[in-house]
Amino acid sequence: MRITGYRMIDLSAAGTANAQSAVADASAEVTSGLRVTKPSDDPVAWTAAQRAKVRKTLAEGATGAVKISRDQIQQTDGALGTLSDLLSQVRTLAVQGANGTYDANARTGLAAQVHGLFLSAIAAANTQSPGGEYLLAGGQSLAAPFAPDGTYNGDAAARSVATDQSSTAIATIPGSRLTAAFGVDVLPLLDKVATALAANDLPSLQASIGDLDTAVKQVALTRTVTGGAMSVLDATVAAHAQLATNLQTQISSDVEVDMVAAATGLAKASSTLDASRTVSAHLIQLLQQNGG
Amino acid sequence: MSDLMSLLSIGAASLAAQNSGVAVASNNVANANTVGYSRERVDLEAMIGAPNLGGVRSNDPQRYADELLGNRIRLAAGSLAMAKSSASALADLQDAVSSNGATVDEQLATLFSDLGQVSASPTDSSLRDQAVTAQRELVAGIRRRAAAIDDQRQQANERIIDNSNGASQLAKQLASFNLQIQKNGADPMLKDQRDQIATQLSQLVGGSAHTDANGQMRFILDGGAVVVDGVAASKIETATDPTTGNAIVQVVDGATRRDVTQQIAGGAIGADVSARDKSIAGAAAGLDQLAYDISTKLNAVHAGNAGLDGVNGRNMFVQPTQVAGAAASMAVDPALDADPSKLAAAAPGAGPGDNTGALALYNLASQGVAAGGKTLGNAAIDLATSVGTQASNANSDAKGDQIISDHLAGLRDSLSGVDVQEELTNLSKFQNASSAMTKLISTIDAMLGDFISKV
Repeated sequence: MRITGYRMIDLSAAGTANAQSAVADASAEVTSGLRVTKPSDDPVAWTAAQRAKVRKTLAEGATGAVKISRDQIQQTDGALGTLSDLLSQVRTLAVQGANGTYDANARTGLAAQVHGLFLSAIAAANTQSPGGEYLLAGGQSLAAPFAPDGTYNGDAAARSVATDQSSTAIATIPGSRLTAAFGVDVLPLLDKVATALAANDLPSLQASIGDLDTAVKQVALTRTVTGGAMSVLDATVAAHAQLATNLQTQISSDVEVDMVAAATGLAKASSTLDASRTVSAHLIQLLQQNGG
Repeated sequence: MSDLMSLLSIGAASLAAQNSGVAVASNNVANANTVGYSRERVDLEAMIGAPNLGGVRSNDPQRYADELLGNRIRLAAGSLAMAKSSASALADLQDAVSSNGATVDEQLATLFSDLGQVSASPTDSSLRDQAVTAQRELVAGIRRRAAAIDDQRQQANERIIDNSNGASQLAKQLASFNLQIQKNGADPMLKDQRDQIATQLSQLVGGSAHTDANGQMRFILDGGAVVVDGVAASKIETATDPTTGNAIVQVVDGATRRDVTQQIAGGAIGADVSARDKSIAGAAAGLDQLAYDISTKLNAVHAGNAGLDGVNGRNMFVQPTQVAGAAASMAVDPALDADPSKLAAAAPGAGPGDNTGALALYNLASQGVAAGGKTLGNAAIDLATSVGTQASNANSDAKGDQIISDHLAGLRDSLSGVDVQEELTNLSKFQNASSAMTKLISTIDAMLGDFISKV
C-alpha cells in the first residue's frame, strides 16, 4: 500500500490525539475516583448503583422512622417507669393508712401525699414527645389522653412503623393498657385511694390494696411489652446500619474506580502519549530531511 | 538536411513532454495540502520510431481517483456525520434527563423516605414540612427535566433548519460544478471540488451521489428524492408541522414540495430527526408517563386517607387529566402546598396519631404501580438508563464509523494523495530529461549552423 508522508503525519497526529484523550480520561478517573458518572459511562453499572442508592435512601427513611419510634418508646418506657414508682409509693402509703393504729388525721395527711402522687402520675401518663405528641394517647395523640380525674380519653390504637419494605414493628403503646380492659383503671385507682384516705374509709382502702397490686403488675406487663418493642426497634436500627453499609459497598463497587488499576492505567496512557509524541517528532524530522 | 530538421522536431516535442511532466509534478506539490485534491500524472507515449519520425509526446494529465471509492467515502462521511451528531444530541439529552442535581429516582426515594418518617410521628409538623418540601423538590425536578428535554427538541429543530439551508446551498453549488464540468470538459480540479461538495452534502443529508456517462453527478436522498440532477438542483427547505411544531424537511422542485423528513437516514439532519422523533420524544413520553403515574397513584392513596383535621378525599398532587404533558404541568396540590397538616397520614376516623395513610404512601415505593408493573423508582431509573444506553451506543457507532472513515481515507490517500518526495523525484527526472533535450537541440542547432556555413 502506498503511504504518503502527509498520511503518516495524519496517522501520527491521530495517534497522539487518541493518546491525549486516554490520558485525560485516566486523569479524570484518578482525580474524581469515579468510573461511572453518567448512565452512558456504563449503563449496567449505573443502573445497579442507582437501584442501590434508592434502596439505601428508602432504608435511611425507615431507619429515621424507627429511630424516632425508638426514642418515643424509650420515653414511653420512662413514663411507665415513673408511673410504676408512683404506684409503689401509693401502695406503701395505702398499706400504712390501712393500719389500724392510724387515725383520721394521719390518714388525711397520707391522702394529701397520695393526691400529690396521683397528680404526678397523671402528668407522667400525659407525657408528650418533643414533637408535641401525647405518647400514651393511641390514635388521639393531639389531646391529653388522661383527664384530671384519671379517666382515659384516648383509644386502643397501637401504631406500627415500617422496618423495611415488607414488615412493621410496634411503635407506640396506647394508654388503654392502663384501663380496666387490661386489669384495673390505674389512674382513677390512685384518686380512689386518696379519697378513701381522706374519708377515713378503711374498708375501701383495704380493698384498694389488692387493686394496687393488680395495677403494679399491669404497669409492669405494659413495660414488658414496651421493652419488647424497644428491643425489636434497636435490632432494626442495627440491621439497617448493616444494610446501609452493604448498599454503600455495592454502590462503590459499581461506580468507583479501583485506584491501583486507575493509576496503572494513567501510567500506561502517559507512556503511550510520550511514545506517540516521540514518533511524531522523528517522523517530521525524517520528512524534513528527505525534502518532504 | 531533412534528418537534422526531424531531430529538431523530436527535440522540441520531447522538451514539451518533459516540461508538462515538470508542470504536473509542480502542481501536485503545490496542492499537497489541498483537501480533496487528487494527484495527477503525465503518461509519456513513444511515437513510432525510425525510419519514421519517432520521439515522445505527453497525453493529457491523468487524475488518480476512483469513482467507487469516492462513493464509499461519501457514504461513510454521511454515516460518520450522523453518528457524531447523534452522539452529541444524545449526550445533551442524557444531561437533560440525568444531570442538574439529584436524579428523579433519588428525589422520589427522598419523598418516600420522608413519608416513612412521617409515619413514625404523624402529628409532627416538622416531619410533615420535610415531606412536602421533598414533594415540591420532586415536582420541580421533573418539571425542570421536562423543560430541558423540550429545549433539546427545539435545539434539534434549529439544527435541522440550519443544516437544511446549508444543504440547499451545497446542492446549488453541486449543480453549478456540474455545469462548469459540462462546459470545461473533464478538468480534474473541478471534479475534486465537486467531490468535496458532494461529501459535505452527504455529511448533512446522507444519501448517495453517482456520476453518469456524461460526467454529470446526480445526488439522491435515501428515500429516492433527487436533490441534484446534472445542472438542476432542488431546494431543501423546512416548514413547521402544525401538529407537533417540529421542523419538517422538504425537497422543493418548482411548485412541487415533497416531505422527505423521514427519508433522510444519514448525515447531521438524519441524526437530529432521529434524535428528535425517537430519543427525545421517547424521553419526553417516558417522563410524562412517570409524572402521571406518580401523581395518580399517590393521589389515589392520599385521597383515601385523612389529614390532621380528619378530612379525607384530598389529592397530594394536582390530578393530571392525561399522560401527554403531565411532567410539564406537574404540581403539588395547592391546599397541601399551603398547609402540610393536610398531608393524609391517617386512616379516616382513626385519629391524627394514626399512620395508616403515611405507611400506605411509603409502601407505594415498593409496589409495581408504574407502567409495565415497575416500581416508580425503577421506572425513573429505566428512563435515564434508556437514554444513557442510546448515548453509549451512539458513541460506539461514532467510533466504529470513524474507523471506517479513517480506513477509507487511507485508501484514498494511497491512490490519490500527493507524496512530496515522490513528486520531487518526478520533478528531478523530468527536469533532467528536459535539460538533455535542451542540449540535444543546441547540438543539432550547431550541426545545422556548421552545415549551412559550409554550403
